[in-house]
Amino acid sequence: MMVNVLFYVFGAILVLTALGVITARNPVHCALFLVAAFLNSAVIWLLLQAEFLALTLVVVYVGAVMVLWLFVVMMLDVDVEKLRQGFTRYAPLGALIALVVAVQIGLVVHVRKLGLGDTAAAVVDRPADHSNTQELGHLLYTQYLYPFEIAAVILLVAIVAAITLTMRDRPGQKVQDIGKQVAVRAKDRVRLVKMDAEARQ
Amino acid sequence: MIPLSHVLLLSGILFSLAVAGIFINRKNVLLLLMCIELMLLSVNFNFIAFSHHLGDLAGQVFVFFILTVAAAESAIGLAILVVLFRERRSINVEDLDAMRG
Amino acid sequence: MTAPDFAISLVYIAYALAVLLTFGAILTWVERKQAAIMSDRIGANRAYVRIPFTQVKLIWLGLFHGMADGLKLLLKEDFKPLAYDKLAYALGPWLAIVPVLLVFAVVPFGGTLDPGRLFPSLAEWFGGRTYPMQIAPIDAGILIVFAFSGITIIGAMLAGWSSANKFSLLGALRAGSQLISYELVMGLTVLGIVLIFGTVNLGTIVERQSGTVLGFLPAWGIVYQPFAAVLFLIAGIAENKRIPFDLPEAESELISGYFTEYSAMKQGVFMLSEFIEIAVIGALFVTLFFGGYNLPWMNDTGFVFPGGHAVPLSHGWVVVLQLLTFLGKVFLLCSFQILVRWTLPRFRWDQLLRFAWKFLLPLAIANLVVTAVALWAQQA
Repeated sequence: MMVNVLFYVFGAILVLTALGVITARNPVHCALFLVAAFLNSAVIWLLLQAEFLALTLVVVYVGAVMVLWLFVVMMLDVDVEKLRQGFTRYAPLGALIALVVAVQIGLVVHVRKLGLGDTAAAVVDRPADHSNTQELGHLLYTQYLYPFEIAAVILLVAIVAAITLTMRDRPGQKVQDIGKQVAVRAKDRVRLVKMDAEARQ
Repeated sequence: MIPLSHVLLLSGILFSLAVAGIFINRKNVLLLLMCIELMLLSVNFNFIAFSHHLGDLAGQVFVFFILTVAAAESAIGLAILVVLFRERRSINVEDLDAMRG
Repeated sequence: MTAPDFAISLVYIAYALAVLLTFGAILTWVERKQAAIMSDRIGANRAYVRIPFTQVKLIWLGLFHGMADGLKLLLKEDFKPLAYDKLAYALGPWLAIVPVLLVFAVVPFGGTLDPGRLFPSLAEWFGGRTYPMQIAPIDAGILIVFAFSGITIIGAMLAGWSSANKFSLLGALRAGSQLISYELVMGLTVLGIVLIFGTVNLGTIVERQSGTVLGFLPAWGIVYQPFAAVLFLIAGIAENKRIPFDLPEAESELISGYFTEYSAMKQGVFMLSEFIEIAVIGALFVTLFFGGYNLPWMNDTGFVFPGGHAVPLSHGWVVVLQLLTFLGKVFLLCSFQILVRWTLPRFRWDQLLRFAWKFLLPLAIANLVVTAVALWAQQA
């Protein structure tokens, strides 16, 4: 019962934060609402007994991806007002589309039932020392080993792609090497020559 | 126990909000990407809910992969965005109409 | 959750908060005093409390300096910048301190508590149940640690951005990139420990560090993973943004970085969170590498020394000894972090990132690979 109450509370907050994401004026606030949405979903995933994924969601999204977002949003000097032109014009259309999509999904879930009535029996109450992490790891490293490795390759490709896209080193660009400058000693640059005084011709 | 249909409805609402977001923020590439993240999140909700109700961990494995791919997607997407901004000084979708780089 | 469980949880939470806040307050004094000792000064000895109607001044080695600081921060005027982002500005300090406090929820600060044996009059109420001394004995404890430290990054970035100040923004960007880089290193070093002990549950990790290896060495993580221990401590100090890694708030470059525009207690919260994080990093290090609450050759019934000599102890003494052991080890680690802070000069910004990505990260990966291969060879 407690779980249900928590689910509805966090579900409501989740919907509100999602609304915040799409309506907030400032892109940083949008990113903040997105962070809140991720945290709320993590809580709901915990209620659905997916601890590992809930925490991974926070680690990956809040700890890494959203920091990246904030970086970009803060660094880019975006003219927000210009980008929001037409916001009120498109808002009714957006609301209509959202309503249609939501009603369709609701109809599918509720009217067709998808044969969901008889699946409730599969939910088992896990003992306290049940390890979701271990089970998932076992599955990942046996049955889903190849997809797992492909995922690793995708991440590697993403790293390489992101770095090559944003690297600004052009050939022939002049940069200072601070380490080299600091390491310079006087005797590398100045040669003191001992010579006799010369008489005027 | 949380009814399965309620979780599915929540994810449906989330998805439709993301769709609405794409419609009303159609000029801002940053927000478009954020709405895509929201959509992926709502899809993940479905996977988690079904995995919970069917007692099958395969759904969670899929969420794991979706998270991976989504992280890669947003990294590359943001990189492209930064390059675009450097070239055009704008992230307005309407300004991005030239095939020439 | 029954009433006794709830009571025990409340006691644990109160204990954890008391420990963390006390550490935060004490460490401000320790930092001053230790710095004074290290640089051969007399040090903090100005603030005093005068007993009313007498000329007796209590100086007590400058212990009242912390109190004076707290009062000053509380009573100061709360300046705000002229143009700032209200939502993010208000959220910043909260996101800096709350996750740091929450991390402690998964750290085991003692062994198993049997309240029925400790208080015989309450034995019936507890019904013989025992509790691990840990607020949240959940399975994925290490992940919780990283999840919460991820949130602190957002806090620092928001604080810097919302202040509408160039120095703050620079500090925020530095904080973001630095914390992400060093969190990666931290995660990879912890993976070695996870491999060795075969679990991500911090309680189990500490349990497996009791006992001995080779007959006399305590089976602590640092014995199995000395490199990981060093890397973890370095990354931990960097996570905490202290010298030599305090580039996000480097006072000679950025005034005080991302919290330049905060004043009074809001700034105090940032300072306090830094000092609490010293204790939290120490607690994590102790949990992962220093055997947590374990003393060498001690188990749940008393000491058993390598010669076969045994000293039995009652349950109450074991609990007290375990709590004190944990606190003592954490304090030692805190003192070491302060030692580092007053010894090393600050990195340059490019050096800092290069150090993380080109030195620490390869070392951490190498450590992980060697550990994995060694375990595999042992099992084969």
